[in-house]
Amino acid sequence: MREFQEAFYSNFIEDDRWEYIVDGLGVTLKITFFAVIIGIVLGFLVGIIRSTYERTGKLKILNAICKVYLTVIRGTPVLVQLLIIYFVIFASANVSKELAAVIAFGVNSGAYVAEICRSGIMSIDVGQLEAGRSLGFSYWKTMWYIILPQALKNVLPALGNEFIVLLKETSVSGYIALEDLTKGGDIIRSRTYDPFLPLIAVAVIYLVMVMIFSRFVTLLERRLKQSER
Amino acid sequence: MNDNYDPLIQAIDVHKSFGSNEVLKGINLEISQGEVVVIVGPSGSGKSTFLRCMNLLEVPTGGKILFEGTDITDRGVNIDKHRQKMGMVFQHFNLFPHMNVLKNLTLAPIKLQGRKPEEVRAYAMELLGRIGLADRAEAYPSQLSGGQKQRIAIVRALCMRPEVMLFDEPTSALDPEMVGEVLNVMRDLARERMTMVVVTHEMGFAREVANRVVFMDEGIIMEENTPEEFFGNPKNERLQSFLSKVL
Repeated sequence: MREFQEAFYSNFIEDDRWEYIVDGLGVTLKITFFAVIIGIVLGFLVGIIRSTYERTGKLKILNAICKVYLTVIRGTPVLVQLLIIYFVIFASANVSKELAAVIAFGVNSGAYVAEICRSGIMSIDVGQLEAGRSLGFSYWKTMWYIILPQALKNVLPALGNEFIVLLKETSVSGYIALEDLTKGGDIIRSRTYDPFLPLIAVAVIYLVMVMIFSRFVTLLERRLKQSER
Repeated sequence: MNDNYDPLIQAIDVHKSFGSNEVLKGINLEISQGEVVVIVGPSGSGKSTFLRCMNLLEVPTGGKILFEGTDITDRGVNIDKHRQKMGMVFQHFNLFPHMNVLKNLTLAPIKLQGRKPEEVRAYAMELLGRIGLADRAEAYPSQLSGGQKQRIAIVRALCMRPEVMLFDEPTSALDPEMVGEVLNVMRDLARERMTMVVVTHEMGFAREVANRVVFMDEGIIMEENTPEEFFGNPKNERLQSFLSKVL
């Protein structure tokens, strides 16, 4: 017990080392939050373009561009993408590490969200599109009022899962010397030479965040389902 | 605007192919205002495809569709505007499952016609009352029976105050005991002089309600006549054999 107290003191209290964890958590949450927003916007745009092409044959060129994007992003590791964006694409521009990370993770997540969104739209019966069109709604209005609300409900679990993955993936941010939660724990380890407590603490924090988020998604799902019962 | 078009809908030499498969091989048909035209024929005859060509859910590969005198197959035409005047009822109802009944009925009139929500809601409730489903206004489609769904789908189209109603096998997906309630609503509509084009297998309905019955087979109209002549004295050989099977 006494040993644990000492380890706890040196890892978290001494020199205010807990601040690495708290500040890192802030960075992780910030990156995840903005990356999720980019991912959703980008993902839905790409998903809608792709499903529009599949259903109507329109937007051929945009669809081709989207396919290249999906192939490249899903075919390379997110860490390599992060490094390329920070060290190659933004090499000469004076862009903060956080912004580079937000863009890298957002663009990466967008590719996965796009496929989720596309499958969600394609899962809605064509009859819904026809019913909307027959009433006089344009394709895009039908999409907005009729298809997307149903598609979103169907893909919510998959989307929630994607954001959990994203939250955890941001842990590679340390590679561009960004002090996120993982890096914060690792810095403490390098100061105290004690890997156990800081890394376990980091793991527990990720776990708790994921559990809270999963719970939130479940609640949201249940509320959306109620409208059909 | 001139409200009296005659004919209201005019199909001129309509062709439709899916790839190399020619489903419609030159259909000519005129539908006058207030007329009830029933289209029958064996499955695969192209009758549903032809009906869906009338509001351009299927785009004809040849020929023209004139609606109120306008060629709606013309690329420059805003088809969404014309579709607002052409109600359609589908075999599988296609109600919007994420909205309650009232929202299903009022969405399009409010969003597309700029009508006041109170007015549309009152109109929707009135129509629901007429089909005896006013108490289901807050229900969701999943809580309704097939017959109720289809009657509400009819009312959804009517809320747009259309000039014509297109019915695509409206009773084919229903349990037998629910067919009657849907046909009754359609019968009432016909009595109110709604222009209707109905693709159906319900020969009794055709005989009783139609002004004209059209027999389609192999992508063309084989015979077209009053119900009395159509059922009493069919001339086309294929129609004779078709009627002997279904009657």
